[in-house]
Amino acid sequence: MGKEKQTLFDKASSSGDLKSIIQQHTLFFDKLIELIPAKFYVPSDDKKQWFQGLSKDEKALAKKESRENIKKARRERFDPNSKKTTLDLLKQNLEKEKSNEDSDDEETEVKPVMPGLEGDERSVTYEELRQRLRRKIEELQAGRNAGSSDQSKKKNEKSEKKGIEQKKRKRDLGSEGQKSASIDASKKVEEDIAEASKELAFSHVKIGNEEKHGKKKRKLSKFMELEKAQKIEEAKKDPEKGEMFAKKHSWKAATSRAAGIKIHDNPKLLKQSLQKKKKKQQKNVEKWNERIETTEKMKAERQQKRSENIAERSLQKKMRRIEKREKKLMRPGFEGRKEGYINQAVETGMRRPAL
Amino acid sequence: MARFRNKNKKAFVKPTGKKKQPSVDHITGDKIPKSFVFSRGKLPGPLKQLELDLRKLMLPYTALKLKEKKRNNLKDFLNVAGPMGVTHFLILSKTETAPYLRVARTPQGPTLAFKIHEYSLAVDVAQSQLRPRCPQDLFKNSPLIVLSGFGTGDQHLKLTTIMFQNIFPAIDVNTVKLSTCQRIVLLHYNKDTKLVDFRHYSIRLQPVGVSRRLRKFVRNHQVPDLRSLQDVSDFVTKAGYGSESEADDEVATVTLASDLGRVNRASTKSAVKLQEIGPRMTLQLMKIEEGLCSGGVIFNEFGPVGDNKKQDNKKPEDQEDAEESESEDISADEGEGEEEED
Repeated sequence: MGKEKQTLFDKASSSGDLKSIIQQHTLFFDKLIELIPAKFYVPSDDKKQWFQGLSKDEKALAKKESRENIKKARRERFDPNSKKTTLDLLKQNLEKEKSNEDSDDEETEVKPVMPGLEGDERSVTYEELRQRLRRKIEELQAGRNAGSSDQSKKKNEKSEKKGIEQKKRKRDLGSEGQKSASIDASKKVEEDIAEASKELAFSHVKIGNEEKHGKKKRKLSKFMELEKAQKIEEAKKDPEKGEMFAKKHSWKAATSRAAGIKIHDNPKLLKQSLQKKKKKQQKNVEKWNERIETTEKMKAERQQKRSENIAERSLQKKMRRIEKREKKLMRPGFEGRKEGYINQAVETGMRRPAL
Repeated sequence: MARFRNKNKKAFVKPTGKKKQPSVDHITGDKIPKSFVFSRGKLPGPLKQLELDLRKLMLPYTALKLKEKKRNNLKDFLNVAGPMGVTHFLILSKTETAPYLRVARTPQGPTLAFKIHEYSLAVDVAQSQLRPRCPQDLFKNSPLIVLSGFGTGDQHLKLTTIMFQNIFPAIDVNTVKLSTCQRIVLLHYNKDTKLVDFRHYSIRLQPVGVSRRLRKFVRNHQVPDLRSLQDVSDFVTKAGYGSESEADDEVATVTLASDLGRVNRASTKSAVKLQEIGPRMTLQLMKIEEGLCSGGVIFNEFGPVGDNKKQDNKKPEDQEDAEESESEDISADEGEGEEEED
């Protein structure tokens, strides 16, 4: 490096222009500065992150902010448009200081040739490309709109409109579509859409608010339904308005059946179901009675058995006691307890045993 | 013992329990409509294919492999439909003049009889396309339905709209996910010819304003071929010619509320693209009956006078109807059973 300086000095002495020497020096140093990342070179004013004195929420907020700042900084670094090289940051800082110190003077700095001009060139070409693309698309659009026939256009719009209507319905019932009313073609499109949407029907959509306020429909008993159905049949047979009523009723019934609502209007079927219900009820009653009977019977049986067992037990107890007593008198040579004199037995009229 | 190794060791296969389909939507609490698609009588080849296509269309709330035998009649189907919670029948049949499609609501509901003027199968539609598309989970969710041209005036048209609206389950705005809305069925009514066009599309969302290369790259995450490029920036900013459909009208784009897949991001514009799959039919509403293929005729295309005229054409139809009307009394019983278990 010393040798370089010497050669420069030699050149300077030969040319005799101090400014050009300084110019070359600054160029060299600028290139050096460019190589150093801004973090290390430019003095940053940011204080160190002070998390200690804050509350929990504040800490979380501060940390979140710092994280987001990091993300932003990273994005900016890779943005081809921004020109935040170290040199630029340095210059910004200098300018800020200057504006703070003396706002009156406007000093024109001697700005050396910026190496960042290459970046500008790059961004310009990027923009140009974008514009070119846009122009091409518009050309194609215009060409397409002029050339397509009405029919195909209508079809396209209809199918597109359907797609949109579906999405709209699904997500956001209230929001309006995007209307670009500048071009004539789009206006015509709108008219067509408005016309077509009058006659469109879609699958059912549940919004979820309706059910809460619905009236609870009481279910009529089968008997009442039967009566109603019979009335309807009579009304159908009525000579004056019978036919019209019948037609109206059958259409109404068909539409509600198609929608899933059950309609009971056939008195024969209703009668059958009533009968079934009755029979079922009877059977149930029978079963219930049987059940009561059996329980009673079982109960009685068990109670009887119990009382029998108890009686048996007490009897057995007595017999055991007698046995015990008699055991003592069953000595060999004796027949047991004395049972009285023989004569006594004769007096009562019993036959004298033969001796 | 190690010497005697059992070579017939079968790996333990855990029996996979079949997923039971919910009969009540656990989000909205409504009953989910299920359907049976079957045929009455012998059908020629292409019509059988149409039946299979219709079954695929009605997935997932239908029996894909429904086996029907010759001796099954409508009563049998009704018997099975009750406990399984099936609400709609789609019945295909053929007469000398044309095939018929009947859409009916099970317990006692109205029957709409359509005459199929023309139809194309799903295979044909796929063959006619340059890039047929069928992602894996296309049939995992039920399709949306759009009816156009029916208006709100005529009663039979109103009934048709209500019928079709109730074949597919309703969507709950609060809990629906954008990724589940992948198919759409379109029915268009032409007032002049009184024909109904039936179409079936798959929905696709594409971000607007992104070049094709970038889109493909983000979706596939495959390393692109940079042989011919000087720099990566060329790959990103190359002004490729937009495809014809790219420069769409403003109207066709929507702003998504949430991300969908890798490519579409929330609150950016995306274009809605429909690609046709599935069968295409041209139908004409012939008559509406009060009961399930029985009962009084409340609407007839050609008016009450025309019934006699049509006798010749529809003889097989009437024979079928006679069979079914016999079973109507018995099936009515089943219908009663339905009502009781309200």
